[in-house]
Amino acid sequence: MLDKYPHSGWASRLFDTINTVFLLLLIATMIVPFLNTFALAFSTNFASMQPGIVLWPKEFSVEGFSTVWNRMQLYMPFTNNVIVTLVGTAGHLILCAMAGYVLVQQGLPGKKLMVSLIMLTMMVPGEAIMIPLYIVNKELGLLNTLTALIISGLVSGFSILLMRNFFLTVPSEMNESARIDGAGDFRIFVTMYLPLAKAGLATVALFEFVSRWNQFTPALLYINNHAKYTLQIALKSLIIDTDATSSNFIITTNVRMAGIVIALLPLVIIYPYVQKYFVKGIMVGANKE
Amino acid sequence: MKAVWKFKSLYIMMLPIMAYFLIFSYYPLVRGFMISFQEFRLIGNRPFVGFDNYLAVLRDSSFWDTLQNTLIIGGGTLVVGFVMPIVLALSLNEVFSTWFKKVTQMIVYLPHLFSWVVVGGMWILMLSPDTGIVNQILKLAGAAKPIGFMSSSDYIRWVMVLTAVWKEMGFTCILYLAAIVSINPSLYEAARIDGANRWQQVKYVTLPSLVSTMKVVIMLNVLSILRMFDQIFVMRNGAVANKVDVIMMYTYQKGILEFKIGTATAAGFLVIFATLIITFVTRAIIRYDEG
Repeated sequence: MLDKYPHSGWASRLFDTINTVFLLLLIATMIVPFLNTFALAFSTNFASMQPGIVLWPKEFSVEGFSTVWNRMQLYMPFTNNVIVTLVGTAGHLILCAMAGYVLVQQGLPGKKLMVSLIMLTMMVPGEAIMIPLYIVNKELGLLNTLTALIISGLVSGFSILLMRNFFLTVPSEMNESARIDGAGDFRIFVTMYLPLAKAGLATVALFEFVSRWNQFTPALLYINNHAKYTLQIALKSLIIDTDATSSNFIITTNVRMAGIVIALLPLVIIYPYVQKYFVKGIMVGANKE
Repeated sequence: MKAVWKFKSLYIMMLPIMAYFLIFSYYPLVRGFMISFQEFRLIGNRPFVGFDNYLAVLRDSSFWDTLQNTLIIGGGTLVVGFVMPIVLALSLNEVFSTWFKKVTQMIVYLPHLFSWVVVGGMWILMLSPDTGIVNQILKLAGAAKPIGFMSSSDYIRWVMVLTAVWKEMGFTCILYLAAIVSINPSLYEAARIDGANRWQQVKYVTLPSLVSTMKVVIMLNVLSILRMFDQIFVMRNGAVANKVDVIMMYTYQKGILEFKIGTATAAGFLVIFATLIITFVTRAIIRYDEG
């Protein structure tokens, strides 16, 4: 950061004070909701229903978690979510990296056409073809399967272009010399390109992991069967379908908040380690090309 | 032809990707386009009915209501969501303590990570009139009686706009911060030598350098207006449905709940056409291709 000129003058100092206060207030609007959520999740059933500004559990308890996990069987959608996220992210990564590799090859006939076809898919808002997609999945017999959720968004133009940008930094001479030594494309891709684009792979994997973990609309459309519910869908019915009474007990606030905490915990845990990749990915993605 | 043969392994690698796009992007698009001109029946042939589905949508008053809601909520999100990240980036840029800057960045980015179910659920519980923390704070500040934010048609659109901005502000801010970092320091030095104070440096150096980033952000946000769905689906309720249901909500209800596939698909295609038109118009207005 360049040093602006020294803080001379009362106007400058006044501004700095106001600016800091403004930022602190803004941070408060970001932190308080999360503190409130965590505090209520770790409160007793009774305490969580009392009005008050709660930023720390009044009566610490994990009642909410055990209710939501065991009694309301959140472990089932959680497991489904883990499966869809891991399989989907791995598949997404392999396919998009492969496509990115193909698109950096020089002199490949039809490369322009492929790029155009991929770019075109990015122009169409996915939500707008919600109904036709539903019909296609129905015809393929994928309704009520986790496969439908894994396939949804398995390849994306954005990730392909991101991977391509990362592979462009690999010198093409390496590719040629490996070819002269008799290595095939697939081998060059796996042994040379993938290791050199680790940052790219991490970035794409991360974005995909987060968006898969949060995947909502496809599950809403394709899944009706409770056993196949994913986390976000289960959460939606837990938090929002407001009749607070299920068959035999009242859903208290701590139970709902515990559900939210379970859903955001994996992301909160990985976030500090991966922040730099996020920034990098956003930068590469926002390139105007 | 020989050249093509030489590259056969590359084509084989590309095959699954192209197959995926054909089956899950292009086929649904073409198929949907056809369905939008057909009377959809589960069994038997589906007669072509020309523009009937489109006319059914355009004659449906609830479609126009959802369009209006889309423009109001989306427009509000667009404006507030354009100003706030810039304000945030500029004020972060004036902070001298590195760790305070880093921590703030990390925190404001956080909500972007979570799904609308999580974020919407949190806000619904926090805004509840009887136990929600927001009304408790208002009470402390001397408010007479609690406000039912989520069920009041006066507040609900603002709730949608502000929660959307709250969620995405930090994400957009990162784009601006990156642009600020790449500004040539000698520009500031020149400005200082000319006697520019801090505000003038922002006005004449920082802001003009952010114009191209602003264009990218406007482009991205304009396109996301018509796609709003998750947030509304999660945060709506019967009491305020007529104030917040957006176009995608209309499509979902018509297609999935009422099973009027033809009408729903036609509405989806109206959105696609609108998206294309808006893209070109916006590009022209903000002169996207210049710099």
